[in-house]
Amino acid sequence: MLSFDFDYYQPKSIEEAVQLYHALDREEKHPLYYSGGTEIITLGRLDLVYTNAVIDIKAIPECEVLGTQEGYFVTGSGLTLTAIEENNGFPLLSKAASGVADHTARNKITVGGNICGQIFYREAVLPFLLTDSKIVAAGMNGVRTEHIMSLFNKTLRLKKGELLVQLQTEKRYLNVPYRCVKKRPQWDTGYPLVTIAAIKAEEGIRVAFSGVSPFPFRSREMEKALNENGRIKERILASLQHLPKPVLDDVEGSSEYRLFVLKNTLFDILRELEEDHR
Amino acid sequence: MDYIGKSVIRQEAWDKVSGKAKYTADDSSPGILHAKLVVSPYAHARIKSIKTEKASHVFGVRAVLAGERFPLTGEEIRDRPPLATERVRYHGEAVALVVADTPHLAKKAADLIEIEYEPLPVVNNPTEALKKDAPLVHEQLGTYQKEERVYPVPGTNIANQTKIRKGNMEKGWAESEVTVEEYFSFSPSDHAAMETRCSMCEIRSNGDVVITSSSQAPFMIKRLIHEYFEVDIGKVIVETPFVGGGYGGKASIQLELLAYLACKAAGGRKVKLLNSREEDILTSPVHIGLDARVRLGSTEEGEIKAAELLFLFDGGAYSDKAADLSKAAAADCTGPYDIDNVWCNSLCMYTNHPYAAPFRGFSHSELLFAIERTMDSLAEKLGMDRLLLRYKNAIKPGDTTPTQVPLNKSNVGNLPACIRRLKEIIDWDEGVAKDIGNNKIRAKGVSCIWKTSTIESDAGSGVILTFNPDGSINLMSGIIEIGTGTKTVLAQILAERMKMEISQIHVQMEVNTQSTPEHWKTVASRGTFLAGRAVLEAAEDVIRQLKNIASCVLRAKASDLTVAFGKVFLRDDPSIGIDVKDIAYGYTFPNGNAIGGQIIGRGHYNLRHLTHMNKETGAGKPGPEWSVGAQAVEVEFDKRDLTYRIIRAVSVVDIGTVLNEMAAKGQVMGAMSMGLSFGSRETFKFDEFGRVMNSQLRTYRPIRYSEHPDYVVDFVVTPQVDAAYGARGAGEHGILGMPAALGNALSIAAGVKLNELPLTPELIWRVKKKEGFSDAFI
Repeated sequence: MLSFDFDYYQPKSIEEAVQLYHALDREEKHPLYYSGGTEIITLGRLDLVYTNAVIDIKAIPECEVLGTQEGYFVTGSGLTLTAIEENNGFPLLSKAASGVADHTARNKITVGGNICGQIFYREAVLPFLLTDSKIVAAGMNGVRTEHIMSLFNKTLRLKKGELLVQLQTEKRYLNVPYRCVKKRPQWDTGYPLVTIAAIKAEEGIRVAFSGVSPFPFRSREMEKALNENGRIKERILASLQHLPKPVLDDVEGSSEYRLFVLKNTLFDILRELEEDHR
Repeated sequence: MDYIGKSVIRQEAWDKVSGKAKYTADDSSPGILHAKLVVSPYAHARIKSIKTEKASHVFGVRAVLAGERFPLTGEEIRDRPPLATERVRYHGEAVALVVADTPHLAKKAADLIEIEYEPLPVVNNPTEALKKDAPLVHEQLGTYQKEERVYPVPGTNIANQTKIRKGNMEKGWAESEVTVEEYFSFSPSDHAAMETRCSMCEIRSNGDVVITSSSQAPFMIKRLIHEYFEVDIGKVIVETPFVGGGYGGKASIQLELLAYLACKAAGGRKVKLLNSREEDILTSPVHIGLDARVRLGSTEEGEIKAAELLFLFDGGAYSDKAADLSKAAAADCTGPYDIDNVWCNSLCMYTNHPYAAPFRGFSHSELLFAIERTMDSLAEKLGMDRLLLRYKNAIKPGDTTPTQVPLNKSNVGNLPACIRRLKEIIDWDEGVAKDIGNNKIRAKGVSCIWKTSTIESDAGSGVILTFNPDGSINLMSGIIEIGTGTKTVLAQILAERMKMEISQIHVQMEVNTQSTPEHWKTVASRGTFLAGRAVLEAAEDVIRQLKNIASCVLRAKASDLTVAFGKVFLRDDPSIGIDVKDIAYGYTFPNGNAIGGQIIGRGHYNLRHLTHMNKETGAGKPGPEWSVGAQAVEVEFDKRDLTYRIIRAVSVVDIGTVLNEMAAKGQVMGAMSMGLSFGSRETFKFDEFGRVMNSQLRTYRPIRYSEHPDYVVDFVVTPQVDAAYGARGAGEHGILGMPAALGNALSIAAGVKLNELPLTPELIWRVKKKEGFSDAFI
């Protein structure tokens, strides 16, 4: 049960959505863009989300695009994780998306919501970080396109009232060798101790992490260490020097144990990707 | 008509699968008010001030309760204020309550109540609680009203202590050539029933207090509302519709008291108090935790000579049923083994944790984890086969229990037969562990189980039978349908005895304490035993009445008549008879004369010959019979990353005659899955301040559908002579040995002693690391 009342808006265009946001903000309605609404419901009942106006983006065509356009694979922010899994045009994204929550929840959770929400695992962002994807965001000054690595630092740094419209991924990344492994405290359900996504790009292996810190990240320093010459084990140990500190220590697992799981998982991923000569 | 053993489908099955079954919270009659609790964010703190003005001024708020002293409550010791006043003693404890027109308004107002706390040092586990300098959870322990046979120790955190002194320990140790000692520990956890608890109360203008509650104990609610609040007991009416899973958690009386107080404050209007999932986990009573020490001594041949046990139960902030849980553990402290010399101290400790309710198995899966892990340690030290050690010491007719009850062929099942059957099913002779390559090991762990139900010595059950004009029978029993299908089993018992179609038996599912005969509580695997006997007696009563009236109509002695197939007829000439439907409401002769009247059958059964346990030795007969069994778990363990999967879980249980095979298997299997879930992943994570850090299903995650192993359930049949058709209790037994068998399998696979729960890969990693497991990851 939500203890706050809110108005519902369903704009048909990006411009309308953005204007609505600012108008509602001026009225101190604490507007939120939304599509699936899972966080509004589950965190709202705990008073961790508050809004008096929700702006549904499902009727905005640009937010619902999924497929190739001019050399890019375009993922609309309003697409559900289930839709992405089923489409499978970007296999790494499908894999990362399929580990989030459970199937019923993924029928509602969207890519945009997973990346911009409060729950800090945000695993859907990992494939985009690895593939240097572009962010399409819309604000009062129109639509801008930016490299994700320049906008994403722990969270997606959009300006107030900016709407995440799409993510664009160069087509050449869609079929590179990849791995995405989620390790949970026990079996198949629950948040990750560690989720590691990795691809084998032309210049070497790229890795991005969730669960290691209270935010997802891709570290170029770690990638540099992992792509040096030497035994996998030593490269991994060297790469760990560049982990954001402290490593997460919470109900899912202690930081020391997370490191143990991280090392094992990274080892398996590197070995498999390095053996993969596709 | 042969219904015993048949997998008769549950009477309420269609209602449930079609979503039409009604549960307590489904009542949304117009005008109903809604209550919302404000709970403590601290595990232990002084309440400095509570400000309720803002909340009271919210439009639609009908009452605000806070800071007022209500009578202390608690089933064994009256140590618990319904709403905390000067002090809060656990994280999530109810401090204030708002009643408003809608749930929305109630929450809005509850959020406006300002409470100032001053944190106090916390008692964060039962071992700490026992220390001399531990903070006291209840400074006034000596002043509380209590039941006669509870033994708190004022000036300490001991809420109850039960002693078992059997045989001669000196002799036992002297005869022991090999001894082992192990320590165990696990935190409280939750029942996680699908339906969160809900209670409603209305006080009618004639003073009737009508409570509807998702409870396993409506008759106890009636009694306690009367005792605590001095309402005439006849004025208290409790209704219980279907209950969506209880597992013991709904045997405790808590929300009902708050709903009553809320209703009274709101002028008697109907008030609903529905737990959110977080409240259900935090505020309402939980599954008990335990710290234990077990010492066993045996001869080199594996004959166990001595057992010394210390149980420190984490009863939490209030003793309620925890005091009883610690006693039940003492009564069966040795596990199902014949041991002549036993010393056990079972203490219920106060801590600043959520307080405990019964949990499926009533402290037995907990004590058996300690015992059965130690049995494996002993087998290892003796170099003896783990099942053989258990087989050699298995409890049998002629032996005595820790409380010195002599066992016979009826009051204990056949454990050796269970072990033999288990051994075949799990291919025990192939060995306990097998390296299957790729860093993987398969290992099997075993555990034996037993349980008696240490319920009140006069606990009873009543049944009323009435007829419909078509000769079909209505069955009224105070059993709550909590998902176990017990009410269907009662219909089977009645159909069998009346030799009639089960479709002609209509079981009243909901309970109303004003019109339904009393059943003590739907707990302790006692439903079928108590109510089953009552059904049989009621059936005899009906048969007698039918024969009496038929004897007039048929002009034959009642003793020449038989009742079957919806008829009463001459035993030696079935062609002379009369339909039950023609006499169930009396009989009218062709000339208009009428005799008899509607037939109402009644039956009851109370436990008999139970005695209280002696304060100093524990001697006494705490329960009617001991069900036994043997269980196993097979795991596939990864030596490198220390993760595992459960491949197979097996139970061989002696539940006496199996009345409904699918229902019985469902009960055992369901209990096994709960045991595996508790053993492998369910626990509260407390921080250093005693706060529960995982009070949501996001972070408190019971086992899920895809994670289940293969389940194998098999039965050994040793009928209990005095039970209906020889059936023993079956509701709990599947859970009892699962944590222990899992712990044994993983200890074998990982090569370290795993004496804590839950058995997560992180626990295995932590223990292995202490033993020098290299962090090297290849």
